[in-house]
Amino acid sequence: MTVDVKTGRTFPGGVHPPGRKGLTEDSAIQLAPVPKQLSILLSQHLGAVCRPLVAKKEAVKAGQKIGEADAFVSAPVHSSLNGVVKEISLQPHPVLGRTEGIIIDVDAENAAAKQPCANQFSVDFDENQFSDEQILNAVHEAGIVGMGGAGFPTRVKLQPNKANPIKTILVNGCECEPFITCDYRMMLEWSEQVLAGIKLVRKVLKPERLVIGIEDNKPQAMEAMGRAVSKSDGIEVVSLKTKYPQGGERQLIKSIINRDVPTPGIPPMINVLVLNVATVAAIAEAVVFNEPLTHRVVTVTGPGVEQPGNFYVPIGMTVGELIEVCGGLKSDAVKVILGGPMMGISIADLSCPITKTSGAITVLDAKEIGGAKLEMRETACIRCGRCIEVCPMNLNPTKIAHAVKHGLFDVAQDYYQAACIECGCCSYVCPANIELTGYIRTGKIAVARKKKQESK
Amino acid sequence: MSVNGKEPMPEKIRVSPAPHISHRFSTRSVMIDVIIALIPAIAYAGYYFRFYALILIATCVLSAVVTEWICNLICRKPNSLGDFSAVVTGLILALSLPPAIPVWAAIIGSCFSIAIGKMVFGGLGSNIFNPAMVGRTFLTACFGMLMTTWTVPANIDARMPVVSAAMPDTVTQATPLAWSKQAIKTRNLEDKTKLVPANRANSLMADMFWGRVGGCLGETSAFALLIGGVYLLVRRTIQPHIPLAVLGSAFLIGTIGYVINPDAFINPLAHLISGGMLICAFFIATDPVTAPLTTKGMWIFGVGVGGITMLIRLLGEYPEGVMYAVLLMNAVTPLIDRYCKLTPAGGAADA
Repeated sequence: MTVDVKTGRTFPGGVHPPGRKGLTEDSAIQLAPVPKQLSILLSQHLGAVCRPLVAKKEAVKAGQKIGEADAFVSAPVHSSLNGVVKEISLQPHPVLGRTEGIIIDVDAENAAAKQPCANQFSVDFDENQFSDEQILNAVHEAGIVGMGGAGFPTRVKLQPNKANPIKTILVNGCECEPFITCDYRMMLEWSEQVLAGIKLVRKVLKPERLVIGIEDNKPQAMEAMGRAVSKSDGIEVVSLKTKYPQGGERQLIKSIINRDVPTPGIPPMINVLVLNVATVAAIAEAVVFNEPLTHRVVTVTGPGVEQPGNFYVPIGMTVGELIEVCGGLKSDAVKVILGGPMMGISIADLSCPITKTSGAITVLDAKEIGGAKLEMRETACIRCGRCIEVCPMNLNPTKIAHAVKHGLFDVAQDYYQAACIECGCCSYVCPANIELTGYIRTGKIAVARKKKQESK
Repeated sequence: MSVNGKEPMPEKIRVSPAPHISHRFSTRSVMIDVIIALIPAIAYAGYYFRFYALILIATCVLSAVVTEWICNLICRKPNSLGDFSAVVTGLILALSLPPAIPVWAAIIGSCFSIAIGKMVFGGLGSNIFNPAMVGRTFLTACFGMLMTTWTVPANIDARMPVVSAAMPDTVTQATPLAWSKQAIKTRNLEDKTKLVPANRANSLMADMFWGRVGGCLGETSAFALLIGGVYLLVRRTIQPHIPLAVLGSAFLIGTIGYVINPDAFINPLAHLISGGMLICAFFIATDPVTAPLTTKGMWIFGVGVGGITMLIRLLGEYPEGVMYAVLLMNAVTPLIDRYCKLTPAGGAADA
């Protein structure tokens, strides 16, 4: 093992928003109380929507599979608690608007809420007691998806590919979004479990190199992970410059091994795999205890919430109920964001449930957002080029955004709008307050829609 | 709070695309930075050219602001004075005017800058040419005599030949660049007595640096402009590419001339600190609206501005060429942008 605290590893571009991690970084992961109701969405991942396995009024047990994944690129969903199915209907979804979900009335007396199992792992964890097949099956059956936000089914990522093997695995402990501390707390409190997950992944893919990347504003996490890997050979812990979006997949790869993932393309094309620390922790739990992914750590934070903290939350609990656990919204709260302030999705409907990919709820007040941003006062582009300077993908955001604004989608494509990772740096830095990322996203959606129509 | 959306959403909660926070600067703060950076040059103008300089500056700024206000009124557009860009245009125009120009001419130049240079294109961000340079060119075309009458305070020990007495407390004399032009023009004369030696201008380098020579209001003191330029760079209001490219290319071309014939061509350093070179490098060529967007484009643009300026100074008819160089390069900025397309990290594949 090596711990490399040499800082300065980074990628070109990026911004330095205020970290604001102090609100929750010292708040240990605590159990969220049992909610009255769960809303388990059948689409919490990239890929095919699940098929419900239960009917109305049917009793379900905690950990029971209630949505089956029929396609390869999909992940099953499970009931997080004991209860009775109330209905299967369209539910609010943070990204997709409305999607099918299973509402479960929780058995309050006997909910069987799960406890974190991190204390049952040790640094001497032996991954060889499990076969590759066991590991892959467990990951699939547990419904594990990328918990950093993208939600790509992990079983698909772990599929060994002889022709194009994974040579480097990067474990993403950057957590570059402001405010969020769930991964940080996990690295501090659950380091052995994270290590166990890493060892299991290593067993399946046999990479040449395995690196845990952590931003240099989290020295305690570096230390904890360093201690955890001290007895394991060939696992490196490296420090990365604190800069947003250091935890973006492509940026992490650029910072650590100095290679660019082709656009369009995915890291396996250059023999790299990136996994979030929460995902590897879930893998350990799934393989060792056969526990499906029914709970996750969520940071509830921001100046608009009374008592910020990190919680171990059953998936399906609503955002509103979780905010109530934290003392409710302050009177000056104006934005509830699923995720962090840079890439998170602002929601209007607090009955949105926590999904496998929701790492945080950030509640902002007017002061944090700033007057011009709050009122969305957009002025003319002065072509200052700051958006280009900060774009980690080396795009020309202002050009794309203006093309989209005027409906010139072919120009937007000509300027590689498809390569945009929607990190938000350009909008963050724009002095004219233009929602560049928003325009680019609109352009991408419009082009995708057009392509779909043409193929029909 | 209940689940399943039975309760209406809290009233004050808003939704918008990510990101939800932003860096605390705005177009206005960028412009205010430029104004702050111009303060040393304004102070020098006031010190050397007295009260009349301040009247000229105030006139230019005021007429620029009023013109923009009227244009917005006519076009039924929202008031855009809050971005302070009209103030910047007025200031830069004023600082590039000769100190003895009448107030009415300054007003005409300022109105032309804003109305024709900026507002007819659609206001800030849409103009192709640098508004202040548009106004200055218009004045040069209309009132050539006024635009080339250089006065210096009479109390300065001026070593340039006096042309005429213009105002009670000032005299008019040749600028170092005019001297340089004479040296170049006379270099091939048979009659050696009519030769104008270039080292006369070289000997004035210290005066040029501190601003004790004739010239435009804000252009005489290299020192004041350097302070402003460094401030803009430190505040990251401008990027260093354009100033470096302008000054670098100008120095290179100036050096070539100096090496070939040091009697006819002045020291390249004197070129850098004389005339509009520094105000151009830090304040005019760096106008974001009319300069290219990409780093590569900025270098091409800067080299173009520096190169054309020096070609005019060394080979052209005029002693100074900054204004034309900037306008010419403004004209090709869209072209530069088109040919300096960025390649995304990870290669350019089809969308």
